[in-house]
Amino acid sequence: MIIENDGVGGTSSTAFLSRMLQFGDSMFPIGAFAFSSGLESAIQEGVVTDAATLRAFARTALEQAARGDCIALITAHRAATAGDVDTLARIDAQVYARKLSDEARTMSVRMGKKFTEMGVEVVGAPLLRTWRECIEKSVTPGCYPIALAINFAVQDLPASQAFVVHQYGVATTILGAALRLMKVSHIETQKILYELNGQAAGAYEAAAAARLSDMAGFAPLTEILAAIHTRAHVRLFMS
Amino acid sequence: MIPAPFPPWARAEALGASMPEFASFQDEPPQMSSGTVGKTGFLRLGFERRSGKTILADLERRVPYMVQRALHCDEQMPGLAYVFLITTTGCLLQGDRLALDITLRPRAQAHLTSQSATKIHAMDANYAAQSQTIALADDAYLEFLPEPVIPHRHSRFISDTQISVAPSATLLLSEIIQPGRKHHHPDECFGSTVLSISTAAVRPDGRSLFAEKLVIEPRRYAMRQTGVMDSFDVLANVILCAPKDKADRIHERAGAAINLADGIAFGACRLPNDAGLIFKVLGRETAQVKAKVREFWSVVRQEIIGAALPPPYLWR
Repeated sequence: MIIENDGVGGTSSTAFLSRMLQFGDSMFPIGAFAFSSGLESAIQEGVVTDAATLRAFARTALEQAARGDCIALITAHRAATAGDVDTLARIDAQVYARKLSDEARTMSVRMGKKFTEMGVEVVGAPLLRTWRECIEKSVTPGCYPIALAINFAVQDLPASQAFVVHQYGVATTILGAALRLMKVSHIETQKILYELNGQAAGAYEAAAAARLSDMAGFAPLTEILAAIHTRAHVRLFMS
Repeated sequence: MIPAPFPPWARAEALGASMPEFASFQDEPPQMSSGTVGKTGFLRLGFERRSGKTILADLERRVPYMVQRALHCDEQMPGLAYVFLITTTGCLLQGDRLALDITLRPRAQAHLTSQSATKIHAMDANYAAQSQTIALADDAYLEFLPEPVIPHRHSRFISDTQISVAPSATLLLSEIIQPGRKHHHPDECFGSTVLSISTAAVRPDGRSLFAEKLVIEPRRYAMRQTGVMDSFDVLANVILCAPKDKADRIHERAGAAINLADGIAFGACRLPNDAGLIFKVLGRETAQVKAKVREFWSVVRQEIIGAALPPPYLWR
């Protein structure tokens, strides 16, 4: 029996896949493990108590990212493909202006800088070097979605894959923190991850059709959790 | 006066046409069509400080929006111009377009509020839109604390607020959003179709400070979801633009807590670019949320002006 390959460009899709796995891996050293995206406070305050509330909390984070950061990610991917640094800086400023808590800004800017630096070292494309320079000279804050977009664009990896990697990162950051913060099993977190990942395709379609000015969200309790975390005396995570 | 080619309320008209979440609500109401006389309210309020007192120096109005005169009724801040925004129709209906332009010249101090809660009525065609601009010059001080918004079921509302604030000026802007008339009908708790609330602020030189766009679509996104509204019903979104040192002191005093048993949660975060703070409150009932906003307002007034609040109105 012959099993046919589903794609025509088998070689390039395999190459794409290996790159995506590398840069989307939670092991990729950009410091995501130091953040819990509000989960630490959510557990302390009794907002997240079990697998069901953890799933809902993670879903909220994924939805917010899809409606906000991921629109910027896709727009930045287009700008990066065109090599347009000015537009990238404009998108970056817009993302930064929408991060309304210290911790959200710290997380985005740190991961963005690290991702750019790793990109320069590992991939080494000129656009990544230019972007690193812009960040170092404080020309631009250097938020994470823009770094991810540039990294993928210079490797000819499609925006849809960058989107999946972003969403996956949001989910694994929270679920990884959950394993350390609450009584939840690996089986439960993997089930949650599997379920949330299943929604990526629809979310990508919506984000790709949106304009930068359409970035929106609504998660007031998550924002209050960020306000509480900043003031907490005992903290294991940076957000 | 020669009429301007684009009246200010045209802004409110353009708003809904440009937002994707309103794409499917472009049909005209079978009643009076959108943007006609009586449905396009406009207010221009210009405040100026003259001999120690702030006066309403400019006033332009168009029904259903109106204001009467500035009162100087706050004993704690006798120079403060106190103005009630009046909507003669008493609510927002489909096809309504409102535009509000507020300017405070250097050192002017004003308090703006509405007479009562703003009901946004049920809609079966079109939407209601509101466009606001707020410009604060050096050392200006504005408290803009309207009564809550009550979106009825199937309501569609779009609001856009553009702020220009000098580094030394203070803006306290509160918006309280109820889930609907939740004790009236089960469909009224998060029964609105779409509420889109955008706020963006810049410095007078055009430098961007922050932007927020809240889009509440209960049919697309579950409101009760953990991290969204959870078990809470009422939201207050309070923006404070203030000089950094004062904002830091207010942040220190504002506190943050979640109490699920009492049904109250609140907390303040520092806005980007040293713009100030954003203070959010969630509560089960409006009174709890209003009380927290009042506490925050009290801290702001103390830190910025050094004055206390007037006693609360008995009937509000």
